[in-house]
Amino acid sequence: MQIYIIEAVLLIFLILITCAVIFCKDILSAAIIYSAFSFCAVLLYLMMGAPDVAFTEAVIGTISTIFFVASLKKIDRWCK
Amino acid sequence: MREPFGGLILNIAFRMLVPFTIVYGIYVLCLGEFSPGGGFQAGALLSVGVLLSRMIMGENAKFNVAGKTSVVLAGVGTFLYTFTGWLTLFGGGRFLEYDFMPIHMEPMHEMHAMAIFLIEIGVAVCVMMTIINLMDAIIKRGDEDGSSK
Repeated sequence: MQIYIIEAVLLIFLILITCAVIFCKDILSAAIIYSAFSFCAVLLYLMMGAPDVAFTEAVIGTISTIFFVASLKKIDRWCK
Repeated sequence: MREPFGGLILNIAFRMLVPFTIVYGIYVLCLGEFSPGGGFQAGALLSVGVLLSRMIMGENAKFNVAGKTSVVLAGVGTFLYTFTGWLTLFGGGRFLEYDFMPIHMEPMHEMHAMAIFLIEIGVAVCVMMTIINLMDAIIKRGDEDGSSK
């Protein structure tokens, strides 16, 4: 029973983080919050019993954050 | 990045992180058959090490891989995968049929593990170099447009 509660909390976190990413005006903080989305997805995959997918998601989340920050150096930080 | 990352704390934290990331990537590559992980994850971890060291040190990083070299090495990784398949073809089997590897080891699953390890090295090299090349393309495109400072 408790595992379902934790899973529901993680899913609600996912929805909240997605809304935060969409409505964020600062692109850098949107990229950082998106890495939190990746972390919640990792925990969910682990609870569903897929450590391989969770591992891949963790590594790809790190790499995509690095990509976002590297491309952010070239453009304006705030969206109009 | 053309210039170092900036900030003493970030520099030192990432500098301590880079060797552990690379060693962990090699660990994941070598134990891919028995545990979660494998070629893709190991290549991504190794590329994280290279990217971090490039972001910290700029152009004169120790683990730096240039753009053209990364394209060539991605092709080499794909060739390693295909070459393992050709080895089994020359041994008399079908493509990637591990029973017919030219190197004979006594327990059959040892030979299978050896062939899968060869394939995973190819996948890891290909993924690592492709991610490094993507990063290179992102940085270089900004420079060509003149939008960087």
